[in-house]
Amino acid sequence: MNWKNVLRLLLVERKSGRLIRGTIRFRKYSENIAVAYWPYWVAALIGVLGGFLASYVASIFYSSPDSAGAPALSAAAPSFYSVLPTLVLGISIVFTLFQQIQLAGKASSQVMYWLPVTWEEHTLASILASLSGWPAAVVTGLSAGLIAFSVFNGLIIPALLTIIILLVAAFLASSVTEIVRVLQVRFTGAVYKSSGRAAIWLRLVGSLLVIVIFYSVYFYAVSGTSSFISSVSAIQNSAWYVPFVWPALIVSYLTQGLFLQGTLFLALTGVLIAALYYIAVELNKRFGLYEPPAIRLQKSGVYAPKTGILGRIGFSSVEAALIRKDLRALTRRRELIGVYIMPIIIVILSIFYSFGFGNGGSVNTSAWAGVIFLVPASGIATLLGQVLIGEEGQSVWRIYASPISAKSLVKSKFFIIVLLSVIILVMTSFIGIVVFHPSLRKTIVGIVEGFLIAMAVGSVSFQIGLKGPDFSGTRRQRMVRQEWSLIGSIIGVVTGAGVFAPVFVQYGLAFLTNTTVSTSNYAIGVVISAAISTAVSAIFYKINVNAAESFLRKAET
Amino acid sequence: MSSQYAVELKDVTKRYNDIVAVSNLTLKIGTGEIFGLLGPNGSGKSTTLKMLMGLVQPDAGKINVLGLDVLKQPVEVKRLVGYVPESANIYEFLTGIEYLDFIADIYEVPPEEKKQRINEYLKALQLEGREGDMINSYSDGMKKKISLISAFVHKPKLLLLDEPLNALDPRSARIVKDFLHSLKGQGVTTIMSTHVLEIAEAICDQIGIMYQGSILALGNMDELRQRASLPNSDLEDIFLKLTGTEDLRAVVEELTR
Repeated sequence: MNWKNVLRLLLVERKSGRLIRGTIRFRKYSENIAVAYWPYWVAALIGVLGGFLASYVASIFYSSPDSAGAPALSAAAPSFYSVLPTLVLGISIVFTLFQQIQLAGKASSQVMYWLPVTWEEHTLASILASLSGWPAAVVTGLSAGLIAFSVFNGLIIPALLTIIILLVAAFLASSVTEIVRVLQVRFTGAVYKSSGRAAIWLRLVGSLLVIVIFYSVYFYAVSGTSSFISSVSAIQNSAWYVPFVWPALIVSYLTQGLFLQGTLFLALTGVLIAALYYIAVELNKRFGLYEPPAIRLQKSGVYAPKTGILGRIGFSSVEAALIRKDLRALTRRRELIGVYIMPIIIVILSIFYSFGFGNGGSVNTSAWAGVIFLVPASGIATLLGQVLIGEEGQSVWRIYASPISAKSLVKSKFFIIVLLSVIILVMTSFIGIVVFHPSLRKTIVGIVEGFLIAMAVGSVSFQIGLKGPDFSGTRRQRMVRQEWSLIGSIIGVVTGAGVFAPVFVQYGLAFLTNTTVSTSNYAIGVVISAAISTAVSAIFYKINVNAAESFLRKAET
Repeated sequence: MSSQYAVELKDVTKRYNDIVAVSNLTLKIGTGEIFGLLGPNGSGKSTTLKMLMGLVQPDAGKINVLGLDVLKQPVEVKRLVGYVPESANIYEFLTGIEYLDFIADIYEVPPEEKKQRINEYLKALQLEGREGDMINSYSDGMKKKISLISAFVHKPKLLLLDEPLNALDPRSARIVKDFLHSLKGQGVTTIMSTHVLEIAEAICDQIGIMYQGSILALGNMDELRQRASLPNSDLEDIFLKLTGTEDLRAVVEELTR
């Protein structure tokens, strides 16, 4: 094993994830360390503050006469520490897998395959690269918190031991995700090979399903963190045969002074890591260089152009071509599947919270019904508005070099925003109706308001997409510069709130007067909302056309 | 500026911060000519082509393409031009046929003509049978062929080709060369940058050698020979002499030491 090679590969892999975004206006690249490593120091800061807070709370609790029957802090805290490795392992696997889903659509650099690097070195570097992402940030935060808490409570030795085991748990998690990554490459290839259009839809639906499952598990876990921790704490001793709890058992046994058991599970964990690493290396050797065969969509032969429905509904040839191209991008490019995540999260969250998870069983269905009608469609309008220019990526020269007018560009992109928002609105409204059983009046208001907000927010967000596109073809393609994304999200929320305000005011008035909103008041609210939405959309259509003109003229920037 | 020329550049300058990519370039290219733009790496060839296409805005000077001001009428210019960039960054999530269909629609080629032309080009460049595959599975040569077809499909009056024959197999390269010749007969102007000097020598009516952002020498082969004082020499010798890189022996000796 050449450790220098491992280190070099690791540094390259990590740097690829945080390269500068947007236009490179200068030749020399210099990195701001504070910005580059922000997840770690932010995690450490949060950890220290959390540790101090926990220490303060503990000091109050233990000075209270009510705490007389509670176990001593020196006994209670290590029991909590022993849960942390399992927590780190779970979070690391989930977050790293999610990151891999995002990256799956990008072709990874194959440079390392031409270099004299062994599969062992490559696999270790890949595992360490995964570890140095989310897992390292989580471990940093928890470690900082543990030290801040333990130093004032005489628990520094158990804390240091826990920190070491947290790193072991993170490595274990990263080894698992490396295995999943290689299998994912192989599976993706198999799906590519199996069919044509079916492969595309299978991939899209499969990815969405993974996202649904991932977020369901995630929200189930975090919607009641304290109950999750106590349930893990309760089961991990009895579930000793599950390898994922072994790091936790090391902490548990060693802090109780049971050195034989602790050493045994330490050895078992070592063997497990070695086995996982061996499997990852072998899988990399076998599938690491998997080249997916071509997707074939049409049979070869005489080509028959289609006129299509878009032409019949009034779009010019140019606009229809752009719309078709973008619709294909939204179903075929895996990095664009990310835009569907937000509506999925909102739906899952609404359903979870409406059933009382995480809030002690109390149910506030009308608020969550409102969220499910209003937020997903406007959210996807925001996202699409922001990324539909940047998603052109390095192929943006094709737009610049083609005879596309600013109006055609805005019209076609805005149509995509409206079309997808409406599709999402229909789907989430259906779920909202099934789950929350709102009245017909509320349903109609919800759907109409959802549409109006999406229209206004989409047109405002498209301006952001034109102002701050990110065409860089880096692995973690963002498509919109982060600062613009942040600005756009704030403006989007303000715009959405502005459009919804007339209806919201009706609710407020009814609440204050302890009455219900009458049909006529609903109608007044919706009409004013429609006027605001139409005005915003019309004004921003003109602003967007001007911005698109400037965008098309400044191809070099 | 008169429109007897397909392309006219007058005192055009383009800077990238402290680097002058193109410096006071004045150039006229007649209608129906095949013009070769040669020069070492970084001499300003691609920037010049991009400025002609309206993809890069000059800091100074005027550019007329087919009688239109590129800065004032960019969309009209693009409608008349076929462009092949140096690197084939094309929509890899589309199939070859979907991409060509997209391009033909963008240029508003009538459906029947579109069908006929695309099929002809696919057949000529031996892409028949692979047009239904996703572009991300194509080789570099196949991507270049798709780029070339997309430049030809709307029957442009001016072709701006940046290294058009790179990565092409000999048969396809020959077809493209012959095709450019036949387009010349139809009054189509071609401006191509290339590092393959044999190709420039074989098919270009006029050759401009660029160096450090300026045209160092301009003319047909005889005129260039005269300029370099190298009668009976080929373009490679002329190029190396004019760009001051003819004494390569010392460099090779240094490398092999």
